[in-house]
Amino acid sequence: MKSTRRLTASIAVAAVTVGMLAACTSGNSSDSSTPSTVELSVVSLIPGTEQSAFDAFNAQVAQFEALNPNIHITPVEYEWKADTFPALLAGGTLPDVYTIPFTDGRTMIENGQLADITSQVKALPYYDKFNQNVLAAGEDADGNVFALPKEAYGNGLQYNRSVFTAAGLDPDKPPTTWDEVRADAKIISEKTGMAGYMQMSQSNTGGWQTAVATYTRGGRLEDTSGTTVKATLNNPATKASLQFLKDLRWTDNSMGSNFLFDWGTINKAFAAGQIGMFTGGSDLYTSLIRENQLNPADYGLAPLPLTSAPDAAVLGGGTLAGVNVKVDDAQKDAAVKWIDFYYMQKYLNQDAAVLDAKTLSESNQAVGTPVLPVFDQATFDQSRIWIKPYINVPESQVAPFTSAIADQPLMTEPPTHTQDIYGLFDPIVQAVLTDQNADIDALLAAAQATAQSTIDAG
Amino acid sequence: MLVVFGLGPILWLAKAAITPTQDTLRTPMAIFPNGVAWDNLVQAWTTIHLDVQFMNTIWVALGSWIVQIIVATTAGYALSVLKPAYGRVLNGLVLGTLFVPAVVLLVPLYLTILDVPFIGISLQNTFWAVWLPAGANAFNILLVKRFFDNLPAEIFEAARTDGAGPFRLFWAIVLPLSRPILGVVSVFAIIAAWKDYLWPKLVLSLPEVQPLSVRLPQLQQTIDLGVYLAALAISTIIPIILFVFFQNLFLRSAGLGGAVKG
Amino acid sequence: MTALDRPVAATPRARRRRTPLTWFRGGGLANLLFLLPMLIVFGLFSWYPIVRAVIMSFQKTNMVQAATWVGLDNFVKVLHDPLFYTAVHNTAWFAVLALIFGYPVPLIAAVMMSEVRRSRGMFSALAYLPVVVPPVVAVLLWKFFYDASPTGVFNTILGWVGLGPYPWIQDATWAMPSIVLEATWAAAGGTVIIYLAALTAVAPELYDAAEVDGASIWRKIWHVTLPQLRGILLITLILQVIGTSQVFLEPFLFTDGGPANSTVTVLQLIYRYGFQNSLGGNYGAATALSVMLALFLALLSFVYFRLTRRWSQN
Repeated sequence: MKSTRRLTASIAVAAVTVGMLAACTSGNSSDSSTPSTVELSVVSLIPGTEQSAFDAFNAQVAQFEALNPNIHITPVEYEWKADTFPALLAGGTLPDVYTIPFTDGRTMIENGQLADITSQVKALPYYDKFNQNVLAAGEDADGNVFALPKEAYGNGLQYNRSVFTAAGLDPDKPPTTWDEVRADAKIISEKTGMAGYMQMSQSNTGGWQTAVATYTRGGRLEDTSGTTVKATLNNPATKASLQFLKDLRWTDNSMGSNFLFDWGTINKAFAAGQIGMFTGGSDLYTSLIRENQLNPADYGLAPLPLTSAPDAAVLGGGTLAGVNVKVDDAQKDAAVKWIDFYYMQKYLNQDAAVLDAKTLSESNQAVGTPVLPVFDQATFDQSRIWIKPYINVPESQVAPFTSAIADQPLMTEPPTHTQDIYGLFDPIVQAVLTDQNADIDALLAAAQATAQSTIDAG
Repeated sequence: MLVVFGLGPILWLAKAAITPTQDTLRTPMAIFPNGVAWDNLVQAWTTIHLDVQFMNTIWVALGSWIVQIIVATTAGYALSVLKPAYGRVLNGLVLGTLFVPAVVLLVPLYLTILDVPFIGISLQNTFWAVWLPAGANAFNILLVKRFFDNLPAEIFEAARTDGAGPFRLFWAIVLPLSRPILGVVSVFAIIAAWKDYLWPKLVLSLPEVQPLSVRLPQLQQTIDLGVYLAALAISTIIPIILFVFFQNLFLRSAGLGGAVKG
Repeated sequence: MTALDRPVAATPRARRRRTPLTWFRGGGLANLLFLLPMLIVFGLFSWYPIVRAVIMSFQKTNMVQAATWVGLDNFVKVLHDPLFYTAVHNTAWFAVLALIFGYPVPLIAAVMMSEVRRSRGMFSALAYLPVVVPPVVAVLLWKFFYDASPTGVFNTILGWVGLGPYPWIQDATWAMPSIVLEATWAAAGGTVIIYLAALTAVAPELYDAAEVDGASIWRKIWHVTLPQLRGILLITLILQVIGTSQVFLEPFLFTDGGPANSTVTVLQLIYRYGFQNSLGGNYGAATALSVMLALFLALLSFVYFRLTRRWSQN
């Protein structure tokens, strides 16, 4: 009996404490004690990040507040997820500054869910230096800026070096054309029994990677040149990339027996040595090592094979830093100041670059993953020199990618209804991989019709 | 069959909790091909602060349980035994909530939590935001009401002739007889609270108040799979213990036969 | 307070002869007091949000600006989506399969357990364990089971008797039955303990009488056990249909609707409309589809209870 009573008492205490906690936080963001103080809540680090990284983050917050005495920063642990986002947005409980994947950034700009920060961004001294192809991810069709790229990657050909060795292939000579990819995949499959090549096809990644494959063959999924956007899903390049999958799957039988993968599960299978090659973002290394304990010596990254088509390009991706659409003008100014300080300076300022690299390396995270320049190439090369001593990614193994990517044209994702378009491709890719009689032309024609009516509906 | 399908997965989880990540990925069914990684358990407990979330999980489950028991028994009693004239309508309204998928209520329910009608306060980051909506469980009410419906009417007649009012009838007759169904509702309530993810993630945004079911999936991308599975294994032990405890409640016969005879 | 005032004010108007005093003496206040927890909790956290969701089904919103009325546009949009018909078809197929596999399994298990008087606790614990397993672990594990290569767990076992290898979730025809199998495993334990609880209410004399008569075990089950469960069986049947028509987690985690849309369910479509693809921009369509689903289920339940009314009262 006594223990029950104590239990009830502690429940009451817990409830009260929690209530007070909530009161504290809401107090922080709503009432500004002096009119000149601007309250700003910003996203901090991914949950589970090492304590040392959080300490470093808090130190940077303190430094920022010292530089901007009229701004008060509240760090919030928040991870962008589609399932909670609508509710948080409607409830006004999002942080004022948060990060978003490129793909979803597009949708949010279209929906009017991000604050317009054009004037603040244009006032930045280094505005001209932005890599225009990367900056475009945070802009609408008229060039208004809604978010800044915090990091960017290109898609590349991920390959497992130990699988290559086991198949008798030279891991230092990854394939450079789609025909070579096909040939190597066949050898891997025959020699090791593993899937030589794989493509993601779940949770809209099927469309995402079909876009990657289409771009390398010079095709596009949307035509934005006219006054109205036209869906171009059934273009020859997309057909060729689906036919490529069909050939590997049904003619060569070099894709193993399991075909349903999304971003997380393909990483697992790749780290387990069950997949020889797949296309994915050049920033994958961190997840492969951290979550899946991939042996660093097994990792290889090559550039995507581009065909000779005039528009052949690499699809880029990355993370945007955006501002909550509900903030007032003073907060908007403060938000861009914070984005400049925390996300941009590490590309532009030696101290910031070194501090960032040092923090990452001390918390056992990857430093020097092969990313794309957010600013011009010279700025990027300079920042790489600054962080050189901290780089812990096996540079020689990603050299095929890093030495080639600067010369590959970079393209952004289809600009309107991106996720809807991507979603239409998941079943098509899955059909090609699981049904020998899948009719690519018919599937694409149906998807094309749906895509166009979705775009027309607005 | 029962042993393989019931116990198998739990044993696998226990095994995976102390297996190096690469072994789990490459040979999921092999038993310790490259030794045992006890370190997973230690890391799971210490580096990701499981202890804080463990207590939160217990509060969340306990509160949801109490609210659900109170709502289900009182409502089941009123609708089944007291039978007010408007009971049928209420019954329909309760049943009706089962038809609406929970995921679509995410936004309107969240807005309600942020500004509770009539009271005007926000329950964000308080356990009440999980406890109270958990009480609105039509499934429980249906089960309890159905159980009360089947209790022999003679018992109530006899008690009423003895001069028992509605409160005594509830407390002294109905509740003791309903031990089996309360055991079932308890198990459902606690396990559901233990596993619930999306809703608590939305309303308990501060890490200090998050239960394991919310915290662990968020950590998934920053920690090694082996440690993650170890954390899941630790978090699964408690509900198993609780189940074994509660099942005594509903498996023991309620002594109904005796009550009818006497 | 308002909840208390309302009936007091309303009742005399409706029935002139009853005054607040007679209402109170008739147990009206006690009724209300017992209903109060439910009224508060359901009113605030279920009925009110549902009403708001229904309103949203006639609106367009981006979650930021005030919503605008669009009439039946959202409903039209859903009905024009080719995936809608696929999703309805798949959901019905899931419900049917779940009824065939999933409905008898817990009943048979519970009846068998109740026959074994000894160590019943251990059996029920075993049956219930899958419910406790975290879904992430269950899916990870079942994906190993369903590995379509000849070295997959199920394929290895079936290989011993010369069957397979089967594609399991990697094939449009096999995917749904595979998911139903896992879902049955995951959910059966809950139903088993409901039945077991109901069976404890069977008066032991009924069994004793049957045993004295020398009835076989099957006759006992048929004449004593099943009739006692009739009421609860009726309820679990409709609850299962309602539950399976809202299936989300398994197809979402296992196949995300694949391969080639063969496991896309209505709930997944709702999730894609409201969240995954539109980030709230198409929430109206998600609520519209939910309203249609709810109306369908309401009609179904109404018909069901009408048809079974006589049987359940006997």
